[in-house]
Amino acid sequence: MSDSVFSVLTRFVEEYRNRTSSKLKVIDAYLLYILLTGAFQFLYCLLVGTFPFNSFLSGFISSVGSFILAVCLRIQINPQNKGEFLSVSPERAFADFLFAHTVLHLVVVNFIG
Amino acid sequence: MALLRLVSLLVFMLALGAQALTPSHHLSPSDVDRLQAILSQPFTDLKSAYFSIVGLSKLGLSVADANGACSFIKANVDSSSVESLFYAAEASQALASCEIHVSNETRDLLHAAVSEDSTVSQIHQAVSALSSFGLPLASQEVVSALKARISKEDNVLAITLALQTASRLSQQAELGEILEEIEDLAARLDDLGGVYLQFEEGLEATALFVSAAYALSDHVDVEPPLKEDQVIQLVNSIFSKKSWDSLSEIFSVASAAAAFSNNRFHKPVIVSALGPATVSHSQPLLQLQVTDVLCQPLSSADVVVESASSVASKAAILSKTPFTLRDGIFELNFMASKPASGYYQFSVAVKGDSRLVANHVELKVKVSTKVAINNMDLSVVDKDQSIGTKTTRVEYPSKSKASFVADSHQNFAMTFQLVDETTGVELTPHQTFVRLHNQKTGQEVVFVAEPDSKNLYKFELDTAERKTEFDSMSGTYALYLMVGDATLENPVLWNVADLVLKFLEEEAPSTIQSKNLYVPKPEIQHLFREPEKRPPTVLSNTFTALILSPLLLLLILWFKLGANISNFSLSPSSLLFHIGHAAMLGLMYVYWTHLDMFQTLKYLAIIGSLTFLAGNRMLAQKAVKRIAAEQSSRLAKYRSLR
Repeated sequence: MSDSVFSVLTRFVEEYRNRTSSKLKVIDAYLLYILLTGAFQFLYCLLVGTFPFNSFLSGFISSVGSFILAVCLRIQINPQNKGEFLSVSPERAFADFLFAHTVLHLVVVNFIG
Repeated sequence: MALLRLVSLLVFMLALGAQALTPSHHLSPSDVDRLQAILSQPFTDLKSAYFSIVGLSKLGLSVADANGACSFIKANVDSSSVESLFYAAEASQALASCEIHVSNETRDLLHAAVSEDSTVSQIHQAVSALSSFGLPLASQEVVSALKARISKEDNVLAITLALQTASRLSQQAELGEILEEIEDLAARLDDLGGVYLQFEEGLEATALFVSAAYALSDHVDVEPPLKEDQVIQLVNSIFSKKSWDSLSEIFSVASAAAAFSNNRFHKPVIVSALGPATVSHSQPLLQLQVTDVLCQPLSSADVVVESASSVASKAAILSKTPFTLRDGIFELNFMASKPASGYYQFSVAVKGDSRLVANHVELKVKVSTKVAINNMDLSVVDKDQSIGTKTTRVEYPSKSKASFVADSHQNFAMTFQLVDETTGVELTPHQTFVRLHNQKTGQEVVFVAEPDSKNLYKFELDTAERKTEFDSMSGTYALYLMVGDATLENPVLWNVADLVLKFLEEEAPSTIQSKNLYVPKPEIQHLFREPEKRPPTVLSNTFTALILSPLLLLLILWFKLGANISNFSLSPSSLLFHIGHAAMLGLMYVYWTHLDMFQTLKYLAIIGSLTFLAGNRMLAQKAVKRIAAEQSSRLAKYRSLR
């Protein structure tokens, strides 16, 4: 059982290394960074408690929001998905990404106290 | 006819007797004097002369200088004005011997004024002048003119003047319709709280109505349709105002007072006690003033006490006892019936004249007395009753020579009796207090002495039980007895004896603090909300570093992936875009530290729009490049395939 899991994983990693364009890998690295940041914030909250709660929430939501927006960008940029995003060019996707981030940061900074 | 009316009136009055109103406002003798004084002031013109002379005559007085007044009238009369003639005629008639010569023109002028085209006021003045001058007038013509005018001028003052005019006409004239106006006008009176009855036009209108209504009723000998309560309410309204605004108002009040005192049908009676309604052994007479509205005593009346009963026990003391008249005051020796001290409810009736209104009065009379203290016995009793008591008797008002000592094993007891000095009846006054006063420390403790079932007062002081009230302070206390009541003429404060109290020493506080309630209290310090506990700084710093560490990871990964900025075109739009974007991020930081949402939005709008424009340009250029690259690569692929 673990054998098949391990072989699936190795296969997955190899495919990933070979097939994914570097542009997408850049975004994936960014996603990993965001994930780690959010996880560490949550860990701190578990350890120390929720004071001040608003700061924790805004930081965590910032991580989560950024992650989601980056995922959206990745989906929209991926040439394999071109069929589903005919009206959205990569540049348009990036512009949307930036605009959404502006709004997210505005809200986060307002809430962070 | 008259007898029937008398009987019906009596029956009517008796029926209402139980619930009748009595005047709550009436003129006092000083008010009547003031009325007189103002009316006696020197006159300024003919109108004020009329008010003064006629007003004083209504009060039953005459002007000081009749001849001077007469010459004043003759000098100031204006024969061409109906009003002036009216004042002159009325005033001269009120004076004893003052004849004004009336020419034919004047007479014709006055006759001409009596027509349907003149106002009621003019008709009234003309008719009164003609009547006072003794000239003949056609009553029926006046009546028809008045009727016509009343229907046109339907206000209170006009109808009052019409009533007044009708009272000067011949009794043969048909005054029936005008008489009915009294009832209609009375219906227009406003009832205020069941106490006052007046026109909304005010005091003067109400007073003039009263005098006109009674003048006409007396003239035709028909009782005015006013009920007893209404008459009293009118009295209240007219005589409640004690300072008057104008001479005409004073004149109207004087006319109304005269009308109430002298008419044939209703005579309001004012019954009041002379001074406080209190009797005692030193002053056994209950004195009442029974007067009419003008404070003239009703000497011919019979004043009788219908019933007098004690308020407390409801026992009747007197029944159908008459008052005796002496010097205009009605007196009754109430102490002769030997009443016990207290309050008594008197029901007094004034009889003798069928016209009397409000002649049943309720009065509350107080009987006060002097108190004597008997059998004041003081003793110190041992608590376990093993040692016999020694009683000391003290006579009022002396003080006991020996002082009494009581410590915590003993009780101090005091018994006494309070009796009426003259009759010896036992009394229970409202206030019977025992006061203990420590002269050294100024402490004062007051207890209440209570009577037992035999009306013997007892006071017991349990030294041990009461030590908190004395703050356990031993010492000599002066003992006072305080007796007081509303019906006592001699309240008592008697220093009976000195009492030495011994408390257990260890309980006494070192100094007695006067229980002053008004010293400043200790200041309250506000306790601010304590900030919440924070984790240690080391932990926070560790985690800050931990959170920044993925950034390092990111940079490493990107470097490894070969992300670079080699494709960075130095076009102005892309430069502007990057600068704008950096500015937006900087603005976020500044927002966190300094600004509020509105300012941030303002700056964001500016920077954002610039960034957007630049970014749009830049991305468009990039898109063009990308499409060109794609096309060329496709072309190359196509070519290689071929």
